[in-house]
Amino acid sequence: MFKYILERFGAMLLTLFLVMVLSFMIIRLMPMNIFENPETPPEVQKKLEDELHLNDPIPVQLFYFLKNVITDLNFGTSVKIRPGADVFSVIADRIPPTVMLNLLSLFISIPLGLICGTVAALKRNTWVDNLISFLIVIFISVPSFVFASLMQYSLTYIWPIFPTLYDATSPQLSIRLWSMVLPILALALGPIATIGRYLRGELIENLSSEYLLLARTKGLTRAQATVRHAFRNSLIPISNTLISLLTGIMGGSLVIEKMFAVPGMGGQLVDAIKAGDHFLTVALLLFYSATSLVTILIVDLSYGIIDPRIRVGGTK
Amino acid sequence: MIDLKKPLPQELIDLPESDFQMVQSEEIHDEKFQTKPIGFFKDAMIRLSKSAVAVTSFTIIVLIILSSLIVPNITGYGYRQQNIAAKDLPPRIPLLEDIGIADGTRVLKNRKKEALSDTSRYPEGSVLEIVREFEAKGVAMVDVKVDAYVYAGVPTDEYHWFGTDYLGRDLCTRLFKGARVSLIIAFVSVVTNVIIGVIYGAISGYYGGKVDIVMTHFAEVLDGLPYVVVTILFMLLLGAGITSLILAMCVTGWIGTSRLIRAQFFRFKEREYVLAARTLGVGDIALIFRHILPNCVGPLITRAMIAIPGAIFSESFLAYIGLGIAPPEPSIGILLSDGQNVLLQYPYQTFFPAVLISVLMIAFNMFANGLRDALDPTKRGEE
Amino acid sequence: MKKSRLFALLLAAALVLSMLAGCGNNNNTTTPPADDQSNTTPDNTPTTPDEPVTTGEKVYRTYLASECSMLNAHDNVDTNVSTPYSYTNSTLWRAVPNDDGKGYHYVGDLATDLPVIVDQTKGTDEEGNEVVETTTWEFKIREEAKWHNGDPINADTLVYSYKMQIDPVLVNKMANFLYDYSITIVNGEAYFNGECDWEDVGIKKIDDYTMQIITVGEPTLNDFCSHFTDRSCYPVHEATYEAGMNADRTETTFGTDLDSYVGCGPYFFDSWTRDSVQVYKKNPDHWLADLFNYDTVEVYIIPEMNARVQMFESGKLDDLIPDSNTIETYIDDPRMVSYASTTIEHIDINCLNTNNPISTSVNYRKAIYHAIDRETLAASAFGYMEPAGHYVNGMAGILSESGIPYRETKYGKATTDLIASWSAEGHTTGYNPELALEYLKKAYDECNVSYDTKIELIMAFDASSSSWKACGEFLQQEFPKIFNDMLSIKIVNYSGISTTEFKKGNETGWDLSPNDWSRGVSRNYPHTCFYYYLSTYSSHPNNYFSPAFEEQYAVCESLRNDYEAMIAATQVLEELYLAEVIQCPVIQDVNYQMFSDRLEVPVDNYIPGFGWGTMYGDIIGE
Repeated sequence: MFKYILERFGAMLLTLFLVMVLSFMIIRLMPMNIFENPETPPEVQKKLEDELHLNDPIPVQLFYFLKNVITDLNFGTSVKIRPGADVFSVIADRIPPTVMLNLLSLFISIPLGLICGTVAALKRNTWVDNLISFLIVIFISVPSFVFASLMQYSLTYIWPIFPTLYDATSPQLSIRLWSMVLPILALALGPIATIGRYLRGELIENLSSEYLLLARTKGLTRAQATVRHAFRNSLIPISNTLISLLTGIMGGSLVIEKMFAVPGMGGQLVDAIKAGDHFLTVALLLFYSATSLVTILIVDLSYGIIDPRIRVGGTK
Repeated sequence: MIDLKKPLPQELIDLPESDFQMVQSEEIHDEKFQTKPIGFFKDAMIRLSKSAVAVTSFTIIVLIILSSLIVPNITGYGYRQQNIAAKDLPPRIPLLEDIGIADGTRVLKNRKKEALSDTSRYPEGSVLEIVREFEAKGVAMVDVKVDAYVYAGVPTDEYHWFGTDYLGRDLCTRLFKGARVSLIIAFVSVVTNVIIGVIYGAISGYYGGKVDIVMTHFAEVLDGLPYVVVTILFMLLLGAGITSLILAMCVTGWIGTSRLIRAQFFRFKEREYVLAARTLGVGDIALIFRHILPNCVGPLITRAMIAIPGAIFSESFLAYIGLGIAPPEPSIGILLSDGQNVLLQYPYQTFFPAVLISVLMIAFNMFANGLRDALDPTKRGEE
Repeated sequence: MKKSRLFALLLAAALVLSMLAGCGNNNNTTTPPADDQSNTTPDNTPTTPDEPVTTGEKVYRTYLASECSMLNAHDNVDTNVSTPYSYTNSTLWRAVPNDDGKGYHYVGDLATDLPVIVDQTKGTDEEGNEVVETTTWEFKIREEAKWHNGDPINADTLVYSYKMQIDPVLVNKMANFLYDYSITIVNGEAYFNGECDWEDVGIKKIDDYTMQIITVGEPTLNDFCSHFTDRSCYPVHEATYEAGMNADRTETTFGTDLDSYVGCGPYFFDSWTRDSVQVYKKNPDHWLADLFNYDTVEVYIIPEMNARVQMFESGKLDDLIPDSNTIETYIDDPRMVSYASTTIEHIDINCLNTNNPISTSVNYRKAIYHAIDRETLAASAFGYMEPAGHYVNGMAGILSESGIPYRETKYGKATTDLIASWSAEGHTTGYNPELALEYLKKAYDECNVSYDTKIELIMAFDASSSSWKACGEFLQQEFPKIFNDMLSIKIVNYSGISTTEFKKGNETGWDLSPNDWSRGVSRNYPHTCFYYYLSTYSSHPNNYFSPAFEEQYAVCESLRNDYEAMIAATQVLEELYLAEVIQCPVIQDVNYQMFSDRLEVPVDNYIPGFGWGTMYGDIIGE
C-alpha cells in the first residue's frame, strides 16, 4: 500500500511538471504586454523586459523559469496584479476563501446528494421520487452562473434575505458563512443533483439484486439492508464522479467568485490571464492542476476504504 | 481411427460416387421466424420511443431547432435591425397583453412628479398609474407605471414578444438566431471532439504498449489543466469568433471520448472474432473501424448527446466572461451576458435567454438519459 | 474489520483536513492578520465584535471598481493607489475645501505652511526679453510629524523619498511625475537618465526641518502645491523601503502588502482583504486630525455594477457613480449631481492601413467624421452624455484666471458654430450623411479606386466597454446605409492587452479604434488636450501627423503666459485639427454621481481639480 502511494505520488509529480512546462509554453505564446502605461519610455521597458528574459526565445525563457523553480522553488514575481510580490504570497492570500467556497460546496453537496438519491430510490415511482428527479434534472442542466444571477437578483435585491456580497472582514465566522450561502448554493446545486442521480440509479439496481434479497431473508429490515449493503455498493461509482464534480466546481467558481466578490483564486485567475501576468497565471494553473490531481489520488486511495474487496496497488 | 500420417488406402480413394445414397430426401431447416428480426438499434429505438420522457425531450429539442431555423425569419424583424428609439422595450405579446401579462408596461422609478405633464417626455397616454409618491430632498417624486411603447413613441401595432435590447433590436429574433449559433457551435465542436477522440482512443487502445503509455500520458497532462482555463487561454490566443470558439473547445474536449474508446478497444481487441479476422488477413485499419469500433457506437452516441449541453454551457460561460463571438452575431451566451449588464433595470433581458438555455440543457440531458437506457445492451428486449 | 474501516475513513478525512489546514497555516505565515500599528490605535473599536456598531461611530463606506495592485506609489501606474494614499499617508500639502463650500485651498500637511519663493535666477530668451530661468522655493517641515510606527519625519525622509523616486537604477514607472508634471524640477530628468549627480538636482535639504526645491521657470503656487499632492510624490518610509530592496538595488518589495508599508496620514491602514475591502481607522494624533470627521472608512472592491447599485440602494454604500445602463433610473433623482469631465470619447483612425486603399486620404477621414450620428449615440449607447464634434473638452480652461471654460468663450463657440454649419438639418455636431458620402467619393477618386470597391473597416476595441460595443454595432448598421454599401464595419474585440499594445506593429489589424485618453492639464491650458497627437509624443495612438498642426501647437505653447492670445491660437489649432480630421471626436463625457442621504459632502458643487472632497465629509443622521 505504502509503495503504491509513493508510486502514485511520483507519477503525480511528473504529471505536474509536464503541466507546468505545457502551461508555461501556452501562456508565452500569447500576445501580452507587461507595461500598461504608454508613457513608460521604451528604454525603460527594454531594461525591465531583459530583466525578466522576455526578449529571449521561449525555450530559453522556459529554461530560466525551470531553473528558478528547481533550484529555489521560485515561481517568479507578479508583474501586473500585485507588481513585485512573490507569486506564492499572492496565491497564499487567495487560498482560504477559495478552498472554503469550493470544499464547502463539495462537502455540502455529498450528504445532500446522498439523501436525495436514497429517498428517491426508496420512494421509487412516487410523487417524492418524481419531484426529486425533476429537481435533479433542473439542477444538472441550468448553468451555475444563471442560478447565481437569479439568486442574487431575487434573494438579495427583491427580497433582501442574504447580503449581496461576501463579507470577508467580519470577525464572526457565522456572518461570513451566512454571506457565503448563495455562492455555495450556486456551486453546490449541480453536484447535489449529479450525486443524487447516480445514487438513485445505482441503488435501484442494487435493491433488486439477489444479495439484497438474501440479506432480507436473513432478517434485516429493509432500511438496514439498504444502508448496510446496497448503499455501500453504490458508493464506488459515485466516488468516481467526485473528481469531475470538484473540477466542475472549480471551473464554476471562476465566475461565481467575481459575482459575489469572494476574494479567491478564481477571479484572480481570470484577471491574471486577461492582464497578462505570466508568472502568476502559471502558478495559478499549477495550483488548479495540483488540486485536481490530489483529488484523483485521494479518490483512488479511498476505493479500498469504501469497498474492501478492491485492493489498491495489486498487480493484474 | 485413421492414421493421418499414412496415405489413405487406394481402394478408399477409388470408391465410385454411385455407391453413396442420401439417407434423407427432404431438406432440413429450422422452423421459420414468424416475426421480423429486430436488430440492436431497432430494439433500442423501440425502447426509446416507449419512454415518455425521452420522446418529450426529443420533441422539445426538435421544436427548438425548428424555431431557431424558422422564428428569426417570421418575426418581421432582422436580428441586426436596430431602432434606437425603441431600445429596452419590455415584452408585449398579443392576447396575453389583455390579461395583464407581457403588456409592454414598465414602472419608471424616481421621476419628478411635475414632469409628468410634460408631453415631450411623457407622450399622451403613456402614463398609466402612479405607483408610489414620495419626497426626496424636498422634491415631489413618483414611481410611475407607463406604457413603454407609447413612452418611446413606437407605433401601437408593434409587438416585441420578448422585448428589445440596448439598440432596439427584437430580442425574440435575436434569441432564436442566437440559439441557432449556439447549437451550431455545440454540434460542430462535439462532432470534432468525437472524431479526434475516436481516432486517438482507437490508436491508443488498438496498439497498446508503449504507444498507449505515451498517448495516455499526453492526454492526462492536457487533462491536468482545467478545461475552462485552457479554453479561455485559447480564446485569447485565437481572438473572438465562431471558429476560434470551436477550436478552443476542442483543445481538451476530446479526452473523455478517447478514454471511452480506449477502454472499449481493450475490451474487444482480444475477442475471438477479432483474432479470426486478423488470421484471415484483415488489415489494421479495417479491424479498427469495421470490426471493433461498431461495438462502441452505443456509448459513443450517449456521450456525444451528453457533450452537447456541455458545449452549449461552455459557449455561454465564455461569452459571460467576455470571450464570446464577435458582434453583431448573437448567441445565447452573448444575450445572457448582455442581459446581465441590465439585470436590475430590465430583468426580462436575462430571463428569456436563461429560460431557453435551461430548457435546452434539460431536454438534451433527459434525451441523453433515455438514449443511454435504450442503448444499454443489458436491458435489451425489456419492455 | 469494522475498526479498520473506521480507521481508514478517519485517515481519508485526515488527508482532506490536513490539506485544508495546510492552506490555512500557509496563509497565516505569509500575512499576519493585523498590522503593527494596532498597538497605537486608540481603543475606539468595539471590544466585542459580535455586537453591531451602535456607538455612534461614523463609518464612511465607498468603493473601488478594482483593487489597488500595490502600495508603492513610485512604481504603480494604477490610479487606485490614490485612495489608500490620501487617507493613510501625508505629503507636503493637502487640498482642503473652503468653509463656504465653494472652493478649495492648500494647507500645510507635512510642511508647516505654504512654500515661499526665496530666490529666482533670470536670463534672456532668444528675443532678448528677460525671463525667469529658475525659482527656488523654501518650506519648513512639521517637527511633530511622525510615521504611524513612531519614527520621526524630517527633511532627510523627503530627500530620500524623492531621490529614490527618480533613482536611475530603480527605474520607477512614476519617476516623471516628480521631475516633470505640473512643475519641472531642475535636473530631475537628467538625474533619472544618469546624466548628472544628485547634488545637481533641485531638491535640497537646508537643515533638518527646512527644504528647498528649485523649479524651471516660475510656476504658480497652485501648480507647485498640486504637483506635490499627486499620489506618486508622497514620502516613503526609508527603513521599510530599504528592507525590501534587492541586492543590486533594481527593485524593492516596498508596498507589496500591508507589512511592507508604513503610512503617516490621518488614518491608519487597519486591515486589507484583497479584492474585498480596505479599512482605515482614524489617527487622532495626526496634526490635521480636526479636518477629518469619519472614524472609520471602508473601501469595498466591487467589480460588478449591479452589486454596487444593490449595495447603494440598500444603504451599504455612501456614493455611487452610475454607468450608462444605471443612469436611466437616477436621471430625475435630485440626489444626483453631474459635471463634465476632461474626456472626449473619440475614434482614432488608422491612416497607414495598406489593406484599406483609401486610408491615406483626408477625405476618407472627413467622410467618417460626418457619418457619425453623435446626438443619437450620446443619448442611447452612452446614456445621457453630450454629443461632441469638437475635441477641446468642456472642462478645458476652467482653472484659468477667468474660470470660464474654453468652450464658452467666443473662440470655442466659433468652432462649435462652424461644426453646426456643416451638419445636416436637426443636427449640430457634424453629422451629415450626404456630405459624408460626397467626401467618400472624393476619397475614392483621389486614390483611384472604383466605386464598386467595397471596403470593410475593422473597428477594434477592448471587449469590456459596453458603450463602445453598442456604438460599434450602431455604426456597423449605419455605415453601409450612409455609404451605399461602399464602407462596412467589422468588429474585432480584444482583451488581455492594452490598446497601445494591440496597435503596435499591427498596422493592418485596425482602421477605427475608440479611445478616451484625456489630459487633466487641459483644465489650465486648453490646447494641451492635443498633446497625444503630436509626433513628438512617443506612444501616440494614431499615425497621421500634420506639420501645420504641430506648428500651431508650438505657437499655443509659447503663449502660455498670455491666456487670451493662447486661446485665440487654440481656436486656430482646433480648426486645423478638424480640417485634417486627425481623429474623430464623438462624445463629451459627463460624470454622474449619487450620494447617500446620510453623507454630507463638504462642497456645494463639483470643483474642478478638487472634486467633491468626500474624504472631508461627514456622516449625519443614520
